[in-house]
Amino acid sequence: MRIKTTRQQHILRIKTSIRWLLYYLLIFLSFIIMTSGTLYKPILLVPLAIGIAINNNIYGSAVTGAFCGFLIDICCGKLFGYNAVILAFFCIAANLVFELYLKNRFINYLMITALVSYIQCWLDYKFYYQIWDYENVGRIFVRVSLRVWAYTVISSFFVYLLIKLVNKLLMPKEHLTIEEAINTNIQTENKR
Amino acid sequence: MREFLKSTRCKILLAFLAFLIGIMIYAVTRGGYSISGASFINTITKPFRAASNRISMKMENTVDKLSNADKYYEENERLKKQIGELNAQLTEYDAIKAEVEELRKFVTIKEKNEDYQLSQPCGVLGYVTNDPFKSFTIDRGSEDGIMVNCPVVTAEGLVGITVEVSKHVSTVRTILSPDLSVAAVASSSNADQGIIEGNILSSENGQTKLIHVPKKNKLKRGDLMITTGTSGLFPKDYPIGTILDIGLDSNGLSVCADIQPCVDVTRLTSVIVITDFSGKFHDDEEEEKDDKSDKADKDEGKAHED
Repeated sequence: MRIKTTRQQHILRIKTSIRWLLYYLLIFLSFIIMTSGTLYKPILLVPLAIGIAINNNIYGSAVTGAFCGFLIDICCGKLFGYNAVILAFFCIAANLVFELYLKNRFINYLMITALVSYIQCWLDYKFYYQIWDYENVGRIFVRVSLRVWAYTVISSFFVYLLIKLVNKLLMPKEHLTIEEAINTNIQTENKR
Repeated sequence: MREFLKSTRCKILLAFLAFLIGIMIYAVTRGGYSISGASFINTITKPFRAASNRISMKMENTVDKLSNADKYYEENERLKKQIGELNAQLTEYDAIKAEVEELRKFVTIKEKNEDYQLSQPCGVLGYVTNDPFKSFTIDRGSEDGIMVNCPVVTAEGLVGITVEVSKHVSTVRTILSPDLSVAAVASSSNADQGIIEGNILSSENGQTKLIHVPKKNKLKRGDLMITTGTSGLFPKDYPIGTILDIGLDSNGLSVCADIQPCVDVTRLTSVIVITDFSGKFHDDEEEEKDDKSDKADKDEGKAHED
């Protein structure tokens, strides 16, 4: 690990701010795309929230997940907070899973996104259609929920590329301050 | 000089000048048509002149471009700006034209139904994402006098009902939704009543369904279904849609029909909300009724106690 200077710390702060700004700009753009037109569209905010969650700290992931969830609720006309809860939960879970068990690779991201968006679509179908026992309700699952899920999974590829690009440009490499480095050394020596 | 004037050279030259003047006078008498010699020369030299002209024009243009580059650049910018302004004006004009046409239609609603209290024309902000029943949001809310359960219409017919109202935005549930039931009657007979309620299959084609119609009815294809106004949620006699197909319900006890709504709810740009109309059901009225019945119950109870 390298030791970071005050200047590097300053740069790191600026880069982090710009990175989050870009994340939220992407979120805003996705929201706009989702609210336009009458065709069935992917829930772009799901892969985006997961993509942000697996690359950042857990608090940021949770907040971003909730925010994206609120936006989904607004554009999909769902109970305000319903998707926020679901997505915040899955973002935290995704963050932990990637921190502890999985490597940050596209295939892992794709699997997690596919799983999360499937659960989100299924819950949506369950609570908003099946529970009311409409006639031919199964058609909604096949023709709407599964279609939206497939679109979401396909769109996750492009979302991943965008997040990767932002991270490549603005994600800081691991650094330590001099103070942190000294503390770490003292701690290691004490342990010995 | 005198020598020259007397010389043969001078006489020949004068003769030549006279010949030329003669040709000129002849040319004048031709009434605009070239004389054969000139025509011949023109024919021979035409391709060369054309080529030469092209080259010179190109050169002139190049020189002109180089020498007047700034002037052209400025002119170009000015024209671009002008085109932009004209395009903006054109777009604005189109928008105003469309709006005026919409407003004209809405005026007819008011003219036909004087008891209606109409909201300002509401623009459709967007359709609810991935909703199979095409719910949508409009750009007016409680500040514009819109409340929950207000009928939403266009000049052509009923669209739906407001289900969620915030200060500046409202959500509209359409007649394609199974969660909205509207009592309807055929306008031709004014006798065959039923309930118009969306279902999943019909909504895929932008249609809705008429259900619970008695087996003995005079309904036929093409009949216009209108609101009965009995529920107090919708005004009386407002068009909903026309009958496409008639069949038996799945239980076999009543008749149902496919309805093509008068309004294509999947492609709306503006709608109008009827905030009040004669016969509208008010929550306050119900509360008052409840209060009265509570009072009556209490009085009755007291009487019994006495």
